Amino acid sequence: MTNALPSPETVVVISAFALIYMLVLLKKTLQGRFDLYDFLMLSMVAIIPAGFTLFPTIGYLVTHLTGVVFPFVVMFGALFLVVFAFMHNMTARLHRLERQNCTLIQEQSLLALELKAKENGQPNG
Amino acid sequence: MADMGMGLGATDTCHNGAAAPQHGTPRILLIIPCFNEEASIGGLLNEIAATGRGYHTLVVDDGSSDATSAIASRRSPVARLAQNLGIGGAVQTGIKYAARRNFDFCIQIDGDGQHDPRAIETLLNAYRKDPTNITIGSRFIDHAGFCSTRMRRAGIRLIVLALNSLFSGGGRITDPTSGMRLMDRSAIAFFAKAYPTDFPEPISLAWAMRAGLTVSEVPVEMRARETGVSSIDGLKSASYMVRVLGYILLARLVRSR
Repeated sequence: MTNALPSPETVVVISAFALIYMLVLLKKTLQGRFDLYDFLMLSMVAIIPAGFTLFPTIGYLVTHLTGVVFPFVVMFGALFLVVFAFMHNMTARLHRLERQNCTLIQEQSLLALELKAKENGQPNG
Repeated sequence: MADMGMGLGATDTCHNGAAAPQHGTPRILLIIPCFNEEASIGGLLNEIAATGRGYHTLVVDDGSSDATSAIASRRSPVARLAQNLGIGGAVQTGIKYAARRNFDFCIQIDGDGQHDPRAIETLLNAYRKDPTNITIGSRFIDHAGFCSTRMRRAGIRLIVLALNSLFSGGGRITDPTSGMRLMDRSAIAFFAKAYPTDFPEPISLAWAMRAGLTVSEVPVEMRARETGVSSIDGLKSASYMVRVLGYILLARLVRSR
């Protein structure tokens, strides 16, 4: 296994991308478009590559521990984990929203019915 | 349990001026979920009125784009869903209505004209003889009338096998996909809280039996659809069966609440 360090150009590009991306993400979070969990998960796409680039020795330590030859494999593995964790949470939230939406639509129709009955002076049921 | 007296009275099913129920007479709600059934709903409501049994009715318009609501509202209260929720969401709307209005029984009847309203009395008589929480009108006990296509019957047999082998609490179920069923207060209270949106007929039975509710069946004769096209046909039938079996297995694995 080689312990090649990233070139200065790589460090600059990755760092610039990470900085700009994090600023955009932070702005959107402060605007209320993302919550803290979304901010954390979405920022991983910048933090993980930046971490491997700026701290290559930590990256090599992790690859040594996991027995993987190439650090970028570990990096992509970590990103996949983040993506799946995010998807897991999103799916649960989506289902909860679906149930809430269904309940809202049902309640709206029953309330409209009740209102119509009261307007017509009918007894309930 | 409310006494099943014979005196249901001769009240109209018209939503205007429904008479107060007689003391001791069970209050029965017919839930009629509809999606674009303008051609059949008027006739069905007339048939129900013609039984002279004083059933309360609630048509649940599941986001129809035609005149279903307008036609139904002349003869029955209509709960109009702003968006299409599917048969599960529509039926649960009716069940919630039944729970809040303190009905003793609710009976689901499809709005496409497949269910003969005279069979309602069959369900009620079956309940009186042998009360169970859910009474299903089954097409496959006597095999009379329209019994669905061959492919769907094969799929239904698989679902029957799954339900009967994985769950207890009922006699042997033969028609788990029947949309004609009577529910008593316990079943109403149970389903008002949770009712499956996907494949509601067989899955609701699985949930009910898992929760300890009892299920029985009585033979009824069903008619072929008067209008419209089934939403479950062709290759969709195979996909439907596989997914239903998956849901039934999942229901068995979850602990009872």
